[in-house]
Amino acid sequence: MNFIRGVMGGQAPGPQPSGAETIQKLCDRVASSTLLEDRRDAVRALKSLSKKYRMEVGTQAMDHLINILQTDRSDSEILGYALDTLYNIICNDEEEEQDENAQKQSDDLGAQFTEKFIQDSEHITLLLTLLEEFDFHVRWPGVKLLTALLKNQGVQVQGIILVSPMGVSRLMDLLADSREVIRNDGLLLLQQLTKGNAAIQKIVAFENAFERLLDIITEEGSSDGGIVVEDCLLLLLNLLKNNSSNQNFFKEGSYIQRMKPWFEVGDDNSGWSAQKVTNLHLMLQLVRVMVSPVNSPGTTTSCQKCMYQCGLLQQLCTILMATGVPADILTETINTVSEVIRGSQVNQDYFASVNAPSNPPRPAIVVLLMSMVNERQPFVLRCAVLYCFQCFLYKNQKGQGEIVATLLPSTIDANSISAGQLLCGGLFSADSLSNWCAAVALAHALQDNLTQKEQLLRVQLATSLGKPPVSLLQQCTNILSQGDKIVRRGSKVQTRVGLLMLLCTWISNCPIAVTHFLHNQDNVPFLTAQISENLGEDERLVQGLCALLLGICIYYNDNSLENYTKEKLKQLIEKRIGKENFVEKLGFITKHELYSRAALKPQPVFPSPEQMLFDHEFTKLVKELEGQHRLCDGVITKAVHKSSEEDKKEEEVKKTLEQHDNIVTQYKELIREQDAQIQELKEQVASMSSQNEQMQTTITQQLSQIQQHKDQYNILKLKLGKENQTQSNSQGDGSQVNGLQTEELSQLREELEELRRQHTLLQTQVGEKDVLINTLRSSPQMAEGPSAGSDNTELLQELEVLKSQVQSQSSEISQLKAERQELLKRAEARSADTVPTSDSSSDASKMADLESRLTAQTSEKEKLEESRAQLEQQLDSAKSTVAILQTEKEKLQTEVQESKKEQDDLLMLLADQDQKIHSLKKRLKDLGQTVEDEDDLDARDQTSDDDDEDEDEG
Amino acid sequence: MAYAYLFKYIIIGDTDKRFQPVHDLTIGVEFGARMITIDGKQIKLQIWDTAGQESFRSITRSYYRGAAGALLVYDITRRDTFNHLTTWLEDARQHSNSNMVIMLIGNKSDLESRREVKKEEGEAFAREHGLVFMETSAKTATNVEEAFINTAKDIYEKIQEGVFDINNEANGIKIGPQHPTTNSTLSSSQGGHQAGGGCC
Ligand SMILES: Nc1nc2c(ncn2[C@@H]2O[C@H](COP(=O)(O)OP(=O)(O)OP(=O)(O)O)[C@@H](O)[C@H]2O)c(=O)[nH]1
Ligand SMILES: [Mg+2]
Repeated sequence: MNFIRGVMGGQAPGPQPSGAETIQKLCDRVASSTLLEDRRDAVRALKSLSKKYRMEVGTQAMDHLINILQTDRSDSEILGYALDTLYNIICNDEEEEQDENAQKQSDDLGAQFTEKFIQDSEHITLLLTLLEEFDFHVRWPGVKLLTALLKNQGVQVQGIILVSPMGVSRLMDLLADSREVIRNDGLLLLQQLTKGNAAIQKIVAFENAFERLLDIITEEGSSDGGIVVEDCLLLLLNLLKNNSSNQNFFKEGSYIQRMKPWFEVGDDNSGWSAQKVTNLHLMLQLVRVMVSPVNSPGTTTSCQKCMYQCGLLQQLCTILMATGVPADILTETINTVSEVIRGSQVNQDYFASVNAPSNPPRPAIVVLLMSMVNERQPFVLRCAVLYCFQCFLYKNQKGQGEIVATLLPSTIDANSISAGQLLCGGLFSADSLSNWCAAVALAHALQDNLTQKEQLLRVQLATSLGKPPVSLLQQCTNILSQGDKIVRRGSKVQTRVGLLMLLCTWISNCPIAVTHFLHNQDNVPFLTAQISENLGEDERLVQGLCALLLGICIYYNDNSLENYTKEKLKQLIEKRIGKENFVEKLGFITKHELYSRAALKPQPVFPSPEQMLFDHEFTKLVKELEGQHRLCDGVITKAVHKSSEEDKKEEEVKKTLEQHDNIVTQYKELIREQDAQIQELKEQVASMSSQNEQMQTTITQQLSQIQQHKDQYNILKLKLGKENQTQSNSQGDGSQVNGLQTEELSQLREELEELRRQHTLLQTQVGEKDVLINTLRSSPQMAEGPSAGSDNTELLQELEVLKSQVQSQSSEISQLKAERQELLKRAEARSADTVPTSDSSSDASKMADLESRLTAQTSEKEKLEESRAQLEQQLDSAKSTVAILQTEKEKLQTEVQESKKEQDDLLMLLADQDQKIHSLKKRLKDLGQTVEDEDDLDARDQTSDDDDEDEDEG
Repeated sequence: MAYAYLFKYIIIGDTDKRFQPVHDLTIGVEFGARMITIDGKQIKLQIWDTAGQESFRSITRSYYRGAAGALLVYDITRRDTFNHLTTWLEDARQHSNSNMVIMLIGNKSDLESRREVKKEEGEAFAREHGLVFMETSAKTATNVEEAFINTAKDIYEKIQEGVFDINNEANGIKIGPQHPTTNSTLSSSQGGHQAGGGCC
C-alpha cells in the first residue's frame, strides 16, 4: 500500500518517477506475487492509473491482465479490476471537450490495443466464457469490454464470436439478465455485434431476439419509454435492415401486429419529449425497413398486406391527420405511409379513401398536396408528400385515372379543391420548387399509362379573362419557352427541368401526344435553338433534356404531320444542330452529377432544395431510352444516328408493320363504330316493333269497322234489292251502277294481286342480291391472304378475326335491314288490305275517318322510311370506311349501289302501289257517296258493341 | 394464424451444390415457415434451412441449441452424403439440447435409377442411432409434408410425456397465444404476451 501511495499521492521528488516505471513495478507484482491479495491490489492500482497512463498501462500490462483473467477465475473481484482496466485502455471515451486531434490519438490507441488483444482469438473466447459468470463485478465490465472491442474492430471480433460455439447465443442471454444495467449494456453490445453481419443477425433473431426486444419495449412504455426503448429499436433495425430471412421471420412470427400499438397516439400531441420523438422516429423507420422498395418484392408485398390487415396502416394515417404532431415525425410518417402503400392496390385504395377531419372533410391526398405546393412548409415535408403521391400512383392505374379525371372538363368539380387543381396551381406558380414537384407528380400520374397520357391532352386551362382557353400541354411549353422572362422564386433551371421531365414522360410512347406537341409551330424551333446554342454549365441539363424531348418526338413520331415527319426532324437536327452535337447534348443528362444519385432509389431526398433536379422514375425512362452505358447507344441516339439507307430499310419494314398495325387499328375503329351503329339499329328496331304493334291494333280496329260497314252494306243491298223488286224498271240504273262497281272492284283486286306478285318477286331478287353481296364481300378477303408477308401471319390472323367480325356484323346489319323491310312490308300490306275490303263501305264520314287514319299510317310509314333512309346513311358511312381500307371493296360497293338502285326501284313500285291504292280509295269514295244517311248512327252503336271481338281478329 | 404450438426446426446435412454455381448455395441460413395439423391442433413450424457447406458449419452450430427438431438430410444418389451422417449426428448431439428430435431423411427418392444408398441402409442407420427415418423427394413433394409432420408428432409426444420443458423457449418450443393454460406454471413464467391471432 505504501508503494501505491508513493505513486499516487507523492510529490515527484527530483527527476520524474516515470509512470512507465511505476506501471512496470505493478506489472511485476501482478506477475510474480503469490498472494491473491497482493495481485488484486496491484491490478486495482493499474486500474486507477489506466485512464491517466492509458498508453503505458496498455503497452506494459495487457498480457498480465489477460493472464489474470485466465488464472484467477475464482476471484470475481480481481477479475472485475482486470476487466475494468482492460476496458479503460481499449475504450475510446468520446469526451466532448476533447479536441479533434486528441480524439484521433485516442482512437488510434484503442484500435492498437484492440488489435493486440484479439491477436489471439482465444482471448475473445475467454471473454465469452467470463460472461457466463453471474457475478455483477465480472459480467458488467465484461460486457463493456466486449462492446468496446466490437466498436474498435467490429469485423474481426464478429468473426471470432461467430465461430466460437454458442458465442452469439450466450450474448443473447444478457437480455434476460434481471439486472437492468447489464441488460441495457447487453443491448449496446448486441447492437455492435449485429452491425453489418447478416449471419449474426440471423442467429440473434433465432435466439428469440424479436420477442425479447418487443417485450422490453412494451415493458418500458413503448414510445414513452426512455433510452432503453431507443436501444431496443436500434437493435431491431440492425436485425431487420436488408435481411430478408429475418424480415420473413419477423413477419411469420406475427410481430408486425405488435408494432401497431406503438402508433396509438392521443389527440393532444403537443409537448412530446425529445426521447419520445426519437423513439417514434425509430419505430417508423422499423416499419419502413419491412416494406422498403429495396427489399425482395415478395417480402414487401406480404408485409404491406399484413400492415393493412392488422390496422397498422390505418393507425399511421391517423397520425398523418392528427394535430400537433412534430414536423419531423409527421414527415417520417408520410414517408412510412408512402412505402406501406407503394405498389399495393388494396393499400392505395385505402389511402385514397382517407379523409382529413376537416369541415368539410377533404381527402388526405388533397390536404397533403396543399402542403407540397406551399412554400411555407419545410422542404423535407414537401419532399415526403411528393414521395407519398408517387407511391400512391405507383402501379396504380385506377389512382392515376382518378387524379387525371379531376382535370378533365367533364368531371371537374367546381365546388371543392381537387388534386388536379393543386397540381396545376403548383405547375404554374411563381415558386420553382412547387413547379418541379407538381410537374413530377403529374408525370407520375402518366407513368406507363397511355390512356391517361391521351386524356391529359384534353385538359384546357382558363387563362386571363377574355382570352381563349389554352391546353395544358401548350401552357407547359409556353412556360418553358418564356424561360427567363418570368420572375420566379428559386431556381429557373428547376422549373424548366421539371417541365421537361413532365413533357418527356407525357409524350414518350404516345404518338398522339407527340403530334399534339409538334402541332404547335413554336415548339420545334424552340428546342433546336436551345440545343444548338452554346450555353453555360448550368444550362447543360436543360439542353440535354431538350435533346431528349426532340429525340422522343422522332422516335415516337407516327409521321402524321407533314412538316414534322421523322425524316424532316432528322434533317433539321443535322442542319441546325449536327448529329454529333445532338448526341453530346443528350449525354448531358446521364453525365450530370445528380443523375446517378436519383437513380438509386425511389424516394426523393435532396441535401438542399437546389439539388432537387432528377426524379427517380424519370431516370428509369432515360435508361429505357438511352441505355445505361455510354458505349451502348440508346434508341434515341440510334434513331438520330441512322444512315438514310438503314433508315429507309427500317422504315420499310416498319411501314409494313405499321400498315398492318394501322389496318388493325382501323378495323378496331370500324368495329367500334359498327358496334355503335348496331346498338342504334337495335334501338330503332325496338321502337319500330312497338310502332308496328300500335299500327296493328289500329288495323284491327279498322278491320272490325270495315266488317261492320260490310254488314251494313249487305243490309243495304238487301234493302235495295227489295226496293228494286217493287220498282223493277224505274230503279234499273241503280243495280247497273252497283253491278259495274263489283266488276270494277274485282278487276282492281286482280291488279292488286298482280302488283303483290311483282313485289314478292322483287323481294326475292333483292334477297338474291344480298347473298351475292355477301359472297363478294368474303372473296376479297381470301384474295388478300397470300399477298401479305409470311412474317406478319400474326397480324394477318388478327386481321382475319377482325374481318370476320366485320362480316358477322354486316350480316347482322343486313338481318336488321331485312327485319325492317319485313316490318314495312307488313305495314303496307295491312294498309293495302284495308283499302280494297272497304270497297263495300258506303258511309262518307266513315270513309273520311278511315282516310285520316290511313294518312296517319302513311305518314308513319314515311317516318319509317325516313329512319330507314337514316339507317341506310349510317350503313353507307360504315361501308365507305370499309372501302377506304380495302380497294377491293370498291367492286363490292358498286354491287351495293346496284342493289340499292333495285331497292329504289322497289320503292318506286311500292310508291306506285300506293298511288294505285289512292286511286282505289278515290273510287271507293266516289262509290261511297251513293250510300250514306242513317247507317252512320247504326255503325257507331255497333262499333262499341263489337270492341271485344275486334281483338281476336287482329 | 393462431396456433397451439410453435416448433423450431433446422435442416442440416451435406451441401448439394458441389457442381453448381455459387449463387445457388444457401448462404448461412434461410428462414421459412409452414403450418401443420397434429391431433386436431394447429402447429406452426419455423424452419431454418442451414447451408451444408463446410465453411458455414460453425454458423450452423449456433442453431442446434434452440431447435426442437432437426431434419438430417442425405442424398440417396450420393453415398458420400450418407457416409458423412455420423459426423453430422455427432455435431448435432454435441451442440443441441438432449431432447432435440432428429429425423433422418433420404432425399431424392424420385431418382431411383441413380440410387447409391439402399433404403434398408437408411433404416438400419436410423435404428442404430434412435432416429426416425423417411425417404423423400423434394422435387415431387413425396413425403415432405410427412417428414415435417412425423418430426412434429415426436416432439408433440415428448411434450405430452413431460420430457420437454415447454416453458423454456430456448428448447425451440413455444405455446401458442390461444393455447388453454392447462399447465399451472405457465401463466407466471411467461413474461411477455403474444399478440392475439395475427393476420399473416
Ligand atoms: N430430382 C431431385 N432433385 C432434387 C431434390 N431435392 C433437391 N434437388 C435438386 O438438387 C439441387 C440442390 O438442392 P438444394 O436443396 O438447394 O441443396 P442444399 O442441400 O440445400 O444445398 P446447400 O444449400 O448448399 O446446403 C437443386 O437443383 C434441386 O433442384 C429431389 O428430391 N429430387
Ligand atoms: Mg440449401
